[in-house]
Amino acid sequence: MAYPSMGEAHRRITDYLNNFSDAVSYQDVASLAQLFSFSSNSPPLLSVADALNFFQDANRLIKQSEKFSQYGEILAPLFRSLQSYRTGNLVDAYHAFEKFANAFIQEFRNWESAWALEALYVIAYEIRVLAERADRELASNGKSPEKLKGAGSFLMKVFGVLAGKGPKRVGALYVTCQLFKIYFKLGTVHLCRSVIRSIETARIFDFEEFPRRDKVTYMYYTGRLEVFNENFPAADHKLSYALTHCNPLREANIRMILKYLIPVKLSLGILPETSLLEKYNLLEYNNVVQALKRGDLRLLRHALQEHEDQFLRSGVYLVLEKLELQVYQRLVKKIYFIQKQKDPSKAHQLKLEVIVKALKWLEMDMDLDEVECIMTILIYKNLVKGYFAHKSKVVVLSKQDPFPKLNGKPVNS
Amino acid sequence: MKGFLRDDDVMMNQATNTQTLASVDPNSVENRYVVNASQGQTSLYVPTTTGSEAASWNMYRVDNNSAENGSFSSSIHHHVHHSEPSSRTVQDGSNAASLATSSSLGATNAQPDYSSYTSYSNSAGPYSHGSTGYQGYYSGYQQQPNPSYSQPVGAYQNTGAPYQPISSFQNTGFYAGPTSYSSTYYNPGDYQTAGGYPSSSYTNQTTTWNGDNYANYTTHHQYSNYAPDTSGAYAAGNASANSLHYQQHYKQWADYYNQTEVICAPGTENLSVASASTQLAQVPGVSSGYPTSNSQAPTSFAPSWRPESSSSQTPLSQHGAPVTGAYDSYRTHGAPSFQNQHPSPVQPHFVKPLDSKSPYSNFQEQQKTACPQLPNLQHPVSQPAPQNYQPPAQTVQSSELQRVGKLQIQTNPRIASNLPLGLPKLEKEGLSNSAIAKPAYISVAQPKSSEKVLSNDAADSVFKAGVFPKSLKNYVQRALAQCKDEKQSAACQEIMKEIITKATSDGTIHTRDWDAEPLFPIPNTDMADKNNSQNPTPVSLFSKYKNSPAKRSRSRWEPLPEEKPVDRLGSLNNYAAKYSSRVHLNEEDQKPTGANSEGKSDVMKKFRFIQMEQKSASKTGQRQVKRQRLADASAADNGDVSSDSDKEQNLTAYYSGAIALANTPEERKRRENRSKRFEKVQGNRAENNHFKAKNAVTGNLYARRTTALVLSKSFEDGGSRAVEDIDWDSLTVKGTCQEIEKRYLRLTSAPDPSTVRPEEVLEKALLMVQNCQKNYLYKCDQLKSIRQDLTVQRIRNQLTVKVYETHARFALEVGDLPEYNQCQSQLKILYAEGIGGCHMEFAAYNLLCVIMHSNNNRDLLSSMSRLSDEAKKDQAVQHALAVRAAVTSGNYVMFFRLYKTSPNLNACLMDLYVEKMRYKAVSCMSRSYRPQVPVSYIAQVLGFGSGMPPNEGCGEKDSDGLDDCVEWLKAHGASLVADSNGEMQLDSKASSSTLYMPDPEDAVAHGDASLAVNDFWTRTSS
Repeated sequence: MAYPSMGEAHRRITDYLNNFSDAVSYQDVASLAQLFSFSSNSPPLLSVADALNFFQDANRLIKQSEKFSQYGEILAPLFRSLQSYRTGNLVDAYHAFEKFANAFIQEFRNWESAWALEALYVIAYEIRVLAERADRELASNGKSPEKLKGAGSFLMKVFGVLAGKGPKRVGALYVTCQLFKIYFKLGTVHLCRSVIRSIETARIFDFEEFPRRDKVTYMYYTGRLEVFNENFPAADHKLSYALTHCNPLREANIRMILKYLIPVKLSLGILPETSLLEKYNLLEYNNVVQALKRGDLRLLRHALQEHEDQFLRSGVYLVLEKLELQVYQRLVKKIYFIQKQKDPSKAHQLKLEVIVKALKWLEMDMDLDEVECIMTILIYKNLVKGYFAHKSKVVVLSKQDPFPKLNGKPVNS
Repeated sequence: MKGFLRDDDVMMNQATNTQTLASVDPNSVENRYVVNASQGQTSLYVPTTTGSEAASWNMYRVDNNSAENGSFSSSIHHHVHHSEPSSRTVQDGSNAASLATSSSLGATNAQPDYSSYTSYSNSAGPYSHGSTGYQGYYSGYQQQPNPSYSQPVGAYQNTGAPYQPISSFQNTGFYAGPTSYSSTYYNPGDYQTAGGYPSSSYTNQTTTWNGDNYANYTTHHQYSNYAPDTSGAYAAGNASANSLHYQQHYKQWADYYNQTEVICAPGTENLSVASASTQLAQVPGVSSGYPTSNSQAPTSFAPSWRPESSSSQTPLSQHGAPVTGAYDSYRTHGAPSFQNQHPSPVQPHFVKPLDSKSPYSNFQEQQKTACPQLPNLQHPVSQPAPQNYQPPAQTVQSSELQRVGKLQIQTNPRIASNLPLGLPKLEKEGLSNSAIAKPAYISVAQPKSSEKVLSNDAADSVFKAGVFPKSLKNYVQRALAQCKDEKQSAACQEIMKEIITKATSDGTIHTRDWDAEPLFPIPNTDMADKNNSQNPTPVSLFSKYKNSPAKRSRSRWEPLPEEKPVDRLGSLNNYAAKYSSRVHLNEEDQKPTGANSEGKSDVMKKFRFIQMEQKSASKTGQRQVKRQRLADASAADNGDVSSDSDKEQNLTAYYSGAIALANTPEERKRRENRSKRFEKVQGNRAENNHFKAKNAVTGNLYARRTTALVLSKSFEDGGSRAVEDIDWDSLTVKGTCQEIEKRYLRLTSAPDPSTVRPEEVLEKALLMVQNCQKNYLYKCDQLKSIRQDLTVQRIRNQLTVKVYETHARFALEVGDLPEYNQCQSQLKILYAEGIGGCHMEFAAYNLLCVIMHSNNNRDLLSSMSRLSDEAKKDQAVQHALAVRAAVTSGNYVMFFRLYKTSPNLNACLMDLYVEKMRYKAVSCMSRSYRPQVPVSYIAQVLGFGSGMPPNEGCGEKDSDGLDDCVEWLKAHGASLVADSNGEMQLDSKASSSTLYMPDPEDAVAHGDASLAVNDFWTRTSS
């Protein structure tokens, strides 16, 4: 790593230090935040990192002046982290960064106003990203990746600093969102609960006062949580909130929201336009939607099989699987309509054999018992109005509205 | 008074040395080594460094002039004479001869060395003179050192005493002086392990020097240089920076070498002083001049200068740069030179004549250049040569001595900052004073005093091109006025030094308004004390910063916290004394311009080569020594030797069960134990081995345990290794028990090998359990004990998997889910390690367990997504997946069909869900069917049958199943009616409102029926 000169290195480090202390003393959060933003890989920051690697004793520089040395606890680990970051040693970088971040929140706690929130955001973001990368490094070395977990508990601490009363509370939602990201990544979503409770039960701070981007992120993640819990109305509400409030130009974000919102809407009986799926490249749902429209059980099963991995990973597989009942409903409805065309007087009596035959056409090999079971379930779940006569093996449909629409209500369970 | 004290100390030193001599005796080489070392060290302690140095310098002069040195005992002369001729022969004669003579030298040396001690003590006279001369100027500082001075020595002696038996090397190293004292503290951690260093060229040296006593000095440097970055921040950049350094270093070295040689040269000529004598002479010279400055100067110097030098070195543009570099290099090289002398002249010298060549050749070289020049005089002669190097702007090429002098001049004001720097007058006076005190110098010094001033200035200018502004002096004085005691002022100086250094480095020293500059807060002297007691070097760095890895809380418990400051002051004293003498030398050096610049490069080249050779030679030669030293150092590891050695003893004693802590206060023990909890293990393999070797013999577990604990204790520096990294292998038990049957007993202490079964026996035990007909409780107990034995022996292989699988199956069969879960989680880990087993079977169980047990969609999703394609094709897994689908869709028909066709023990897990499924189904039926459903149908669909539904054919309507079903339906509140044919029918409409889930009959208060012992017995007994 050739570097112009020792003097140059010295100068850059001193500049960095000056920037830091100036930013703190003038409460210039924008420039302060820049100093911490490793992942931006901004040239000035990288050059400082190079300088640090070249100039070995940056700590001396910190200690030389009272101006810097009062922040020595912050700056020294920050430098170490920057150095390690530059040399690609992400685990060390993470360790030092966490130390730095701890020192920073210590300082942040002492500041009366919330001027440094943006800088704290950057730190919260960086520590998460750094931890993810460090974990990747650890995993590739065959060690157990636990840095992200550590970052999670650190952010919990930050949340504690922010969540109280006062002007700093505005920042709590950002940290919450970072925490969500960590928990979702780690698969420890149950940890979200305490944070959510603290956000949602707080009377002192109206949710609407949080920054919009944080609100959208928060709603997105809590919506996803509701999808896991199969609480579809709540999921619908949260994801729709996220969708209507998010930046309409950020198509990637919209797609992420729709990825969960569409299955939720489907299970509420609301089908999307194909154009929507095309616009946001969500064509994996296309066949599902078609299956629902046609009552084509085979198509649904194929669609699920085809995208199984994807659906399993995003966590909508079970939601989509439950659409099967709606497909059956559609199928029965179709049979009913055909019968009605043939003989309107007997249309409300569906013979089980007919349904079995229809399923056979769809290459679904099911015997009477099974189909009978499904019919009882349909009736039980109120997808079909009527009753099943076991003796005669006939589904007797209600004369009024035999196939009630969901209309935004979830299937009874 | 001082003299007396010192006498005593020296005597004590001698005493201990003789002890070592006696104990180590068989090896004369070692002997020699030790003695030498002690010599160097005493010179260290003894503030008369100057004296001793003067002595060594004087010797030649005295020999030549044989006049002035009344104050020096004749024993010095004697010594010089004594050793010189013999070594002369070494030089002149063949190698073989050198071998012979060297051995004799070893013998003779012992005497001269001792005599030289006495000479030191004698030289107290001149020393005290000199110091008094300075006292006026160094007002506050001088006084404390005098009384307190003896203390550290005493302390060393005391602490040294217990040490003596361990190894002479350790001892000597330890004795080497305050510096080495602290460096022993840091030694073990800092550089053996610190990952960052190896890349730097420094380390080469380090390793080379390690084995040596004097490695301590090196260590010290290293430490001081690297201290702030123990974390390894340095690693990368170092190489480049250092390489630059290095060239300079070498040059310096060469210069230094030349110089010493030159000084000796006259002696050689006139007195036939041989290179060996040069070495001897050098040893005191170096040890006194150099380490002394170490003991004091490094404290302040190394850290403060270091960054500057590194920053400025590359461009070589700043004035200060070369000198700081020079100083640094001098210091590091001082150590090498020291080293050099030791391994080569002292140790290998006798063994390997080759090594002795190195100084020799240099010397020859030197002579060549020197001789022609100076046929007439001795000291004048000695001066011209160094003079040579000086002229070039006093930077790189200036002679070592000059530099030393300069540096001292520079630092002095800072350390003893009462004395403003730019007051040549004072110095002159001091000079003349000391000169008066030491008549030897008068002739030389007097005429050149003016020149000396010059050099002084030059020195300043080297540092920062100019004299410090007066306002700065005032500032310094103001700052010092704040201090209440000498500790504070010492700390104060450190800070001031930093400030000035910084000001110098950023060029604000002249521009800054020092009068308006706010005074820094007085540092916490207690803190400083602690630091000091740890290591003098990082004080300035760390006094404010507590997060440095170098700092350990342990230091709090060092018993002699006041020791260091005293030392430092003592060495300050040295410093002052030496200062004067150095100044003299300076002057001397400065005088004429010599002409051996042609020779210099040669020398340099040669020297470099030689050094390389030596390095490799000494590396191998010293490994042995190093090991030993390390082992001992581990005891000494961090600092305070006395407490540490005690501690180690304590530890071993404590853990081996003995309560013999006779001489240890209870309190301390507790503290140690407490502190140990936080100590981090560190990878010092040498120590590891050492301890292992020590304990390997004993099969005793406690001993092993002690090892691990001691290990963890001794590894503490650096923090790169955690406690988990202890080599637990050493704690693993090897069982000897041959019993196949063993009851399970939860361990409350370390396992006893005699009750642990080895693997073969465990295999038999597993077979026995698999085939036995006893009930689950017995099997579970046996399997648990097998698992325990596997665990304590850390056996993780197919057998382990088999044991867990067996246990899991047994547990499933009887529905012992807690035990099953334990096994399952272990199996997950074992499978993940790649140990084969019935992977698929247990994957299916796992899946079923998730479905049946927890209603957590996320868990289900994640375990589903983790299944490999291969696994999805497995029959058991497919079955499990189908069950899942049936459960999520509520398809009871499918569920009970799957129940009947379930492979392995899947049905056992499904059993857990049957009740729920049936209830759901019946509620569904009662809602959907109208008017009635035959119970026979329900019984068929919901898998009622005789005992084991899976064994029944589909559609078979046996009465048992029907009765069961009726019973079940009634229990759940269904209303049944008999139709015209007498068949039982479920009245769905009536039932729909009356169905309920009865409380499970076997419900117990604590929620887990299997924990109810009586019930468990009835269930599991077969």
